[in-house]
Amino acid sequence: MTDVPYIQVPLWYLPFLVVIPAGMAAGVVSWLKHRSKNRVVREKDPDWSIPPLTQGSGQGTSLIHRWDVRCKIVTMLAYSFAVASLRHLDAAVAAVLVSLAVLMVARVSLHKVVLRLVALAGFLGMLLVVMPLTVPHHPGDVILVFGSLDWLGVNMRGVILAATIAAKATAIALLMEPLLSTAPLPVTLYGLSRLGVPDMVGQMVLLSYRYLHVFSHEARRMTAGMQARGFVKKTNMDTLRALANFLGMLFVRSFERTERVFDAMQARGYKGRFPEPGQLQIRMPDILLTGVWIAAGTALVFYDCTNV
Amino acid sequence: MHISDGVLPLAVTIGGYGASAGFAAWSARRILSRDLPKVAVVTSAFFVASLVHIPFGPTSTHLLLPGLAGALLGPGAFVAIGLGLLLQSVLFQFGGITALGANALMMGVPAVVCGWFFQQFKGRTQGRQAIAGGLAGALGTAMAGVFLAIFLVTAGEDFFGVAKLALAAHVPVMVIEGVISGFTIGFLARVKPALLLQSSFQDKTRSFHD
Repeated sequence: MTDVPYIQVPLWYLPFLVVIPAGMAAGVVSWLKHRSKNRVVREKDPDWSIPPLTQGSGQGTSLIHRWDVRCKIVTMLAYSFAVASLRHLDAAVAAVLVSLAVLMVARVSLHKVVLRLVALAGFLGMLLVVMPLTVPHHPGDVILVFGSLDWLGVNMRGVILAATIAAKATAIALLMEPLLSTAPLPVTLYGLSRLGVPDMVGQMVLLSYRYLHVFSHEARRMTAGMQARGFVKKTNMDTLRALANFLGMLFVRSFERTERVFDAMQARGYKGRFPEPGQLQIRMPDILLTGVWIAAGTALVFYDCTNV
Repeated sequence: MHISDGVLPLAVTIGGYGASAGFAAWSARRILSRDLPKVAVVTSAFFVASLVHIPFGPTSTHLLLPGLAGALLGPGAFVAIGLGLLLQSVLFQFGGITALGANALMMGVPAVVCGWFFQQFKGRTQGRQAIAGGLAGALGTAMAGVFLAIFLVTAGEDFFGVAKLALAAHVPVMVIEGVISGFTIGFLARVKPALLLQSSFQDKTRSFHD
């Protein structure tokens, strides 16, 4: 490992190059988290589980909204896999730009997009911190060493690698909102089932999405009850026991509720399928958009392979 | 910890999808098809439970619950966990959509193994059920950690450091998870022991009325 070029920089670079940017990133993320938490209370999120009464009203009218849902799913998933397979930072950054352009065209709620990025931040932040320090040294790598802190060798290849992953994950995450919220959830799931995914998958997603909100409401009520009785979370055995009883109670209630839900569904004539939410039709513009998008993905992959 | 998009090589993501589709089909066949909607509703309860934060010193951790899911749902746990992870990925961006197959394997296979383990060792008394449940919870988390490390290692030697760190992070979670699972199973054994019988949704037992 003697042919690895070390770059010595004075110790006082450390705060400017690492600590301050990292602190600023953490600050931005926590500010966004705080802000989004407040926003949720004030603004009522549209409930995707309730299909709009008339098709298309209340929805946007952008290019992405009018795209046939089957073409949309196939194109975006194929494109996501193409993006995930990129290996160079410049191609990954280009993918982020493409996603941002799509976001502008689709005009979806930016608030939700931000929430997704905040959710990503934990994993990607971990990679960005850990990888520069743990990536094995290869010939040709550049190691930054701050002053006399020999053990803190920042491998620039690790930085690039982690940044590439972060860019790819961001590019794909930015596409999720245009993919999902430009059509009501039942329509998206209907598109999936028309693509050959078993009907039951869509139904299960719909049901569990619906009851997710019911049970989180229930959990919130139970938490309020515990707090009213003076429960405070601490790191000790009593807390664990109380939380375990809480979970047990949640499960008991949910299994019982499941039975009642299923009985009610059968009483309303449920025979293993839900009514179909309208007709789907593929037109020329749908195919055109799919073609253009796939071409863009192929171009990205091609560009990624040719530059070494 | 769920793997995000862009970490795993393409072959691993596609292989993960294939393998978990196979597992899901096997798992769905072990349940009465009539009961699949019920599994969907129960999945959302597990989803909510996994969002509960447990204080751990200055920080906090959330539960993974593969052990409990396995103990309560038996082989159906794979379907439930796959569904839960799909929702987590598309709704909240925890875990990438391209890594969904790998993430489902990472949590679903331990759940099914833990369910089997729990049914084998639960015994008759409440105390023994609680202990078996606790062991299943700890085992599930440990297995999930090992799977995560293996998947990260397939991404190349650059990820060895991350894999080691991820394994180390699972150790305290494993202890907490084991304790919580043990107490939860103990609670269920006292309050509603029927839930702990050979999985509620399994084809043979027909514990639900028509």
